[in-house]
Amino acid sequence: MTRMGIAISLDRCTGCNTCAMACKMQNNVPMGMAWNRVVVEGCQSEFEAQGVYPDLTRTYIPVACQHCENPACQKVCPTGATYKDDKGRVEIDYEKCIGCRMCMAACPYNARSFNWEEPKHDPDFNYGDKDVPVRHKGVAEKCTLCKERTDRDEDPMCVRSCPSEARIFGDLDDPNSEISKKVKEKNAYMLLEDRGTKPQVKYYN
Amino acid sequence: MSNLMKKPAFIALAVLALVGIGCWIYQLVTGLGITGMSNANSWGLYIIMFMFFVGLSAGGLIVASSASVFHIKRFKAVAMPAVILSTACICVAGMFVLVDLGSIQNIWRLLVGPNFASPLLWDVCVITLYLVINILYLVFMNSKKDDAPRKVEIISRFALPIAILVHSITAWIFGLQIAKEGWYTAILAPIFVASAMDSGLALLLCVLSGLNKSSKFKTDKNLIATLAGLLATCIAVDAFFIGCELITMAYPGAAGAETLAIMTTGSTAPFFWIEIIAGLVIPFLILVFAKNRENENLVVTASVLVILGVFCKRVWLLLTAFVLPNIEGAPGIALGTFTAQEGGMGMWSLYGFYFPTVPEVLIAVGVVSVGAIIFWAIAQKTMFANNIANKVDSADDEAIASQEGATPQAV
Repeated sequence: MTRMGIAISLDRCTGCNTCAMACKMQNNVPMGMAWNRVVVEGCQSEFEAQGVYPDLTRTYIPVACQHCENPACQKVCPTGATYKDDKGRVEIDYEKCIGCRMCMAACPYNARSFNWEEPKHDPDFNYGDKDVPVRHKGVAEKCTLCKERTDRDEDPMCVRSCPSEARIFGDLDDPNSEISKKVKEKNAYMLLEDRGTKPQVKYYN
Repeated sequence: MSNLMKKPAFIALAVLALVGIGCWIYQLVTGLGITGMSNANSWGLYIIMFMFFVGLSAGGLIVASSASVFHIKRFKAVAMPAVILSTACICVAGMFVLVDLGSIQNIWRLLVGPNFASPLLWDVCVITLYLVINILYLVFMNSKKDDAPRKVEIISRFALPIAILVHSITAWIFGLQIAKEGWYTAILAPIFVASAMDSGLALLLCVLSGLNKSSKFKTDKNLIATLAGLLATCIAVDAFFIGCELITMAYPGAAGAETLAIMTTGSTAPFFWIEIIAGLVIPFLILVFAKNRENENLVVTASVLVILGVFCKRVWLLLTAFVLPNIEGAPGIALGTFTAQEGGMGMWSLYGFYFPTVPEVLIAVGVVSVGAIIFWAIAQKTMFANNIANKVDSADDEAIASQEGATPQAV
């Protein structure tokens, strides 16, 4: 089996949001929506820090779909529009989505976006990769682990574009892959591990 | 039917229904962005009303089928209005799911590729089954064949467990979601059954009292008092379950306590306290005294309070869970809708927030109006017609409908 995943070094992440922008461009993500976002841990605004001066810290956590091994969103989808594919990615078949938003209620990571209206783009054209399917109003969408790129054996755009090389993409089922070695070596953790969703996106310091 | 259509109440309902349908068409064309929902709060008024009406439909069928299952003969007198009410409410609940869908044109996918692991699919199945049972119940009760009473007995044995299951499965849509601290609890199904019982019974009492006043259908005073006693018991059971849940949330002082704080002092607090005080405490204190149960006005007051309380409960149950995202941190969640951004908050939000919009409320009012029309239409065809038919056996339905003057009597 293949279990594709991403490992993110929080030490290397500078919170520059390049991954978020690159994702938006690659995947034709419309206005008002982000498949990939970088949150500042424990802060109410992007310009805050944790702690008391002079002992201040800022931790950036890039959050997108966690491509869980036990995906809550896939289980609840009434039509099977959300599915786990043979490469271990959680994907959506937009043709099958009835727009009930059960998956959005089920995802613990708020990873999903809904097309509440016909998507708007600025500039006003489909700027994404030509292979990325165009979505219409009334369907849910989220990070596909750059399905179109990873199918061509390329890295996801967030991994490819990260200026500080904080991200590693690879097969978690292959013990000799760079990602597997790193996850083991750094004892990487997962977001909301206690929920038992077993994310394939790992974080380490 | 012809007389009914001339009544101002009916015309008002029809106008509200048409306005609702108009708004729904507008929503189909422009998308769910016309509602107050966003990525941070992805379910709203429609799902609240869905839960509410699934609950309201309970009282009717449970009272009617208890008449047969537990041999409570006195309940048989109100079986007809009870089942009609149950049918109309479950239709309303189903319609609320449909108006909430973003891509209703894909709904046939439910038939060709169902995912049997989804609680939403279970709910679609069980609600369809429930509707079929309600309709069969009505057909058998109205049948003049000799074996009809026997058929009613048989179907009521299925009706009771299915009614319990409808509420449980509706609860599991929420209660099985590990993502939401406010929903994920084993007691959610019992709470849904209990609050379905009390709001359903309360609605039945309101309708019976209304029918009494219009002298279209008379219900015995003693029976109203008995049903009111049953309502008091259901309120107590509901309050007990909610109490169990609240103490379990509060005691560890962990994540549950955060959710509890939103309910008791935060943005959903008004709904929580209205439910506890006006929806549980006051009606219970009214109905616990036998003397009050014999006063129809007090019974109706308590019933209205119970219905209001259960509605508020649906509101806080749904919305509280959306307020605090599990992954906290600036800038928060991308809202994904331009309507939500009009308040000047930009595309991000740290917390879930929701307020229904005008078209959303009009659609909800329209759906409820359609339900009221369904109730009156079925009642007109069966109950009112039959009551006279019992007296004047040979009269046909058309002739009866026009006999406004001949007020029917039941019991």
